[in-house]
Amino acid sequence: MNMIKLAIRGLMRNRRRSIVTLLTIAIGFASITLFAGYTHNVYSGLQKQAIYGELLGHLTLSKRGMSTEGKLNPVKYMLNATDVTRITELLLHEEHVKLVAPRLSLSGLMSNGRSSTIFIADGISPEAMQQLQVDAMTEEEKRIYADYIKKLDATHSDSALLSAGLADMLHLKKGAQASVLTSTISGQANALDITVGGTFNTGNAGSNDKYMFMSLAFAQSLYDTTGAADRMTILLDDVNQTDAVSKHIKEKLQAAGFDIEIKTWQELSDFYNQVHNMFDMIFGFIFSIVLTVVVMSVANSMGMTVVERTREIGTLRAIGLKRLGVVKLFTVESLMLTLLGCVAGLLLTFGLPYIVDILHLSYTPPNSVNSVRLLVDIDFERTLFTLILMLVVGTLAAYLPARRAAQKAIIDALGHV
Amino acid sequence: MTVQTQSGSQPLLRLREIRRRFMLGETTIEALNSVSMDINNGEFLAVWGPSGSGKSTMMNIIGLIDTPTSGEVWFDGQDTRSLKDDELTDFRGHKIGFVFQGFNLVPVLTALENVMLPLHIQGVAEHVARERAMAALIDVGLEKFKASRPDKLSGGQRQRVAIARALAVEPKLVIADEPTANLDSENSRMVVDLMREMNHARGVTFVFTTHDPRLLEHVDRKILLRDGNIESDEVSA
Repeated sequence: MNMIKLAIRGLMRNRRRSIVTLLTIAIGFASITLFAGYTHNVYSGLQKQAIYGELLGHLTLSKRGMSTEGKLNPVKYMLNATDVTRITELLLHEEHVKLVAPRLSLSGLMSNGRSSTIFIADGISPEAMQQLQVDAMTEEEKRIYADYIKKLDATHSDSALLSAGLADMLHLKKGAQASVLTSTISGQANALDITVGGTFNTGNAGSNDKYMFMSLAFAQSLYDTTGAADRMTILLDDVNQTDAVSKHIKEKLQAAGFDIEIKTWQELSDFYNQVHNMFDMIFGFIFSIVLTVVVMSVANSMGMTVVERTREIGTLRAIGLKRLGVVKLFTVESLMLTLLGCVAGLLLTFGLPYIVDILHLSYTPPNSVNSVRLLVDIDFERTLFTLILMLVVGTLAAYLPARRAAQKAIIDALGHV
Repeated sequence: MTVQTQSGSQPLLRLREIRRRFMLGETTIEALNSVSMDINNGEFLAVWGPSGSGKSTMMNIIGLIDTPTSGEVWFDGQDTRSLKDDELTDFRGHKIGFVFQGFNLVPVLTALENVMLPLHIQGVAEHVARERAMAALIDVGLEKFKASRPDKLSGGQRQRVAIARALAVEPKLVIADEPTANLDSENSRMVVDLMREMNHARGVTFVFTTHDPRLLEHVDRKILLRDGNIESDEVSA
């Protein structure tokens, strides 16, 4: 009979206690991994939202200093038409690059003829906008989210998409006309009429009453420039290549004489970073608490087991089991208990997300205008980490009481009542 | 270094000037007081005497599960004082079998598995351990109960399993401390008869303690202990 078989038999002695401890481990394990799965889903959703929903793409390229000095001296920091064309030619055939889209941001006043309010606009070509949003979507997602995909009318360059709050504020509906007033690149006032091509939710209460999308050509007209852009958005075929491609194209463009800076979607999405950091902290907190409860439960269970079996330990020592053998016996028993608990926890981890999915639970995240489905992924990395850590601490939890029992004199152990 | 008896043959066990003191609070208890004796191979020996006479202490020292406060214990020519804990455990596991008053069987193991246990501890291969354990169970007449757990066996049967467990490692010495204390007179007689039979059949030395003078009838030698001293050491004719 090997040690594992003996350990399993040992667990069967006090079944109720073993089952309670096993359930504690299973529920603790599942709690950690399910929360990890939930955060994984949130991170994944926020990542998609940032790259595709907010149209950040994977990388954003601009002249060095644009983000800090660009508004004060746009002429110096804008990419002119020649720059845009050259950069596009240099990058478009790079490995992993799927799209290079020039963008132009501007702000000003928008009026419906009776009242006006400030706006922030993003100029982008209708084709690039389409590709940025649907690129990562499956055919089913395209069907499900068809109504949410923002589409600029490619046939009418004056067509603009207004955030829902902005449209409401100015009582503008689809097809309505409005005027936008901005300053040109040289600082002159410039006003043009736009047609409301549709509305959308930014998903953020802070920007939902001022944001709009317009075609790049229309934005360039408002800015009184031809072919210029303040930045270029680069879409990749693999998010995991973001850093590598960023480094490579930066070197390539610098070699071509461009003094540029490149930011990743993560650097630009403050919201993603804030949520990520917050959930990481909560995860660490929950993980510590659950792990402590599990360790104490296993330590308590194994401590009682060792005390109850002191006489047996004496017998085993008398018939030839070394002190280390006694320690091994109980640590293997604890390892088996923790392993079985983790396996039960794994079953819960794999089973519960389906139940959550079937229940169609949803909630409205903070600072959001839309409710989102509660979905739980399997975070394999953290699940494996939790499994290994639980096995280690579960085994160590038995080490001290087993070692104490192994050190006991045989005659004392045999005389234990 | 080896020890020879006066007749020239090496004794299995030699105790010299054994003292064993215990502290009970601030009181010192002299459990054994300068005890010297030899036990030869193949003996069937009973240690008897009233409660508190030092029988169990002597058995623990003979069984190498306790160390004397002073004195020498030579086992099979080996000075046991020179053995480290792990060496002593190995030595004990290979050369000494134990039968306890409370049987001390592992409750979650079957009779056969209990008998196999010391062999597994020694690292004996599974099939060899099974064969040897089965042979020991046959010797004690419990082959039909090989799959029974201890709670399904009577007191006498449990003690027979314990004897089989002690014999499975083919020891030179079997120590049985009050093996019949938890048994009725019929089972007590049966257990002592079985030990005697194994002593004859296998040539294994048996040393057991008892309160019951009726069980002393068939022993080769009986040692009476009183207050930690050997009062008499009688060899049967």
